[in-house]
Amino acid sequence: MKQTDDKNKAALRRTTWKQIRKCKWLYIMMIPVLAYFVVFRYAPIGGIVIAFKNYNVFKGIWASPWCGFATFQKIFANKNFWNAVRNTLTLNLLNLAVSFPITIIISLMLNEVLHLRFKKVTQSILYLPHFISWVVVAGIATNLFTQQGGTINNILNAMGHDSVPFLSDNGWWIFTYIICNVWKEVGWGTIIYLAALTGVDETLYEAAYLDGATKFQRLIYITLPSIKPVIVTMLILSISSMMSIGLDAPLLLGNSKVQDVSNVISTYTYQLGIQQAQYSESTAIGLFQSAINIIILLAADRIAKAMGEHGII
Amino acid sequence: MAKQKEEKLHKIRKVTPGSVINYTLITLIALICLYPFLNVVAYSFSGYNAVLSNKVTFFPIDFTVSAYKEILGKASIWLSMRTTIIVTLVGTALSLTLTTVAAYVLSRPNLPGKRIMSTFMLFTMYVTGGMIPTFLVVKGVGLYDSLASLFLPVAVSVYNFIVMRTFIMGLPFDLEEAAKIDGASEMQILIKIIIPLSLPIIATIGLFYAVNYWNDYFNALIYIITPEKFTLQLRLRNLLFAGELNSAGANAEGIGTQVMTQSLKMATVVVSTVPILLVYPWLQKYFVKGVMAGSVKG
Repeated sequence: MKQTDDKNKAALRRTTWKQIRKCKWLYIMMIPVLAYFVVFRYAPIGGIVIAFKNYNVFKGIWASPWCGFATFQKIFANKNFWNAVRNTLTLNLLNLAVSFPITIIISLMLNEVLHLRFKKVTQSILYLPHFISWVVVAGIATNLFTQQGGTINNILNAMGHDSVPFLSDNGWWIFTYIICNVWKEVGWGTIIYLAALTGVDETLYEAAYLDGATKFQRLIYITLPSIKPVIVTMLILSISSMMSIGLDAPLLLGNSKVQDVSNVISTYTYQLGIQQAQYSESTAIGLFQSAINIIILLAADRIAKAMGEHGII
Repeated sequence: MAKQKEEKLHKIRKVTPGSVINYTLITLIALICLYPFLNVVAYSFSGYNAVLSNKVTFFPIDFTVSAYKEILGKASIWLSMRTTIIVTLVGTALSLTLTTVAAYVLSRPNLPGKRIMSTFMLFTMYVTGGMIPTFLVVKGVGLYDSLASLFLPVAVSVYNFIVMRTFIMGLPFDLEEAAKIDGASEMQILIKIIIPLSLPIIATIGLFYAVNYWNDYFNALIYIITPEKFTLQLRLRNLLFAGELNSAGANAEGIGTQVMTQSLKMATVVVSTVPILLVYPWLQKYFVKGVMAGSVKG
């Protein structure tokens, strides 16, 4: 019995080996790709050890002494760090609360459009801001929202209102930040829902129409349930990145007057790591951020599965 | 049956108050999307006094091209434009090659070690080294202050790889089998069959990569120190937000420290954005398909 087992294994090994030799060129083609991942993805992951070391540029990573969790203790004791965490969560949650429903509503509106040319043109226009860099968006936003001479304040003044400090008041700055994000990404976000909406079974609508369901009823009882899996997936994805925030928008839109609300984890890491060369501290912050993200991702996936939806993992 | 069809047609043709409101709202949203662009263009073509007295809203006032003359007369803008074009072209070519090869190889059935290699790549979507370790690696391999630092560290996007692999997996398999029987090598199959069939997805992914390279300023901000190597976006950021980010106590509204007029700034914005707007309509018809391919769970 054991002998035949061994024989089978040997035979399997032989065929696998043969297969590998047959695919030689495929492996050779993969070498540059794998090399990229080793050097620019895995080497930095290995570099995370400096979060647990007292990193000294002159000694290098390996010769620097270990310091355990001392760096983390130092960070957690810092008020600015918790301020950045709070701002990251606030901006992300508010952005999600505003962008998420608007994206779905605009998708549903576009889906109702039957005039193909109109639909194509409006879609092209809605996707456009996604392709504009944050530098340009921030530049445009500054031009529009500046307190003195900004176009929007000019219009407000002309209508007899006082100027609004869109960029220099904490609350208004958050408002402007959300507006910029909505303007840039909501149109692009509709693609995924529109794709899902084209997959909804037409016959359901026809049946409901014949049964006398109104447009609104069809929306509530057919359309929304049909795209629910996509909604849930997108929600999990957004929630699982609650601790990450793009660096561009807060860095470019922010200024010293609103740093109490615009200082987020990514900008804090940038200031600490690149501008002040505190490598261990900013690496530790990055690790903390990734860890929280993975925990939220797993939790959100579990909850979705418990609710009877497909998870994403 | 006929009646049903008639009713369906009727439903489609009927103009209800709801659909009128819907069309109006969508038009309004599209206008809101466009307005900021219009505003920028209006500023860039407006005369000095009109800009200073804040009269510009929708259309240029005292039409002039002097801002463009001044911008395009600066050698630094052309230098940056050249740098950005080089980085975008070389980066996109490299990214597309690596992504296509990876997607092709890892879509082959019966390739031993396929799963391990895929997992090896996918893992980096969830776990990353973060800003500083990556910065130290880029410095460590000698790329600091070189143009290669702008594309090598971000050469392959795992997300784009997944999208492309999903697409290639959906291609009809018989063609490849026939080619194999005819004695075609793996390389020939990739070049003669897979790539021609995958052109829509290659165009889509190419657009994504190109836009990322064109728009990136952060990598240039942290890796490039020689001003001659500044990319367009980095230069634009320095022009628009000069002194804002690094010096404490900078004036949020930029009054007083403002060296350039608003129309000059906005002309620079236009110059650095127009190239994207030029390729956009050509590639637009592809990318919806591309994003959809990616939304299918692989």
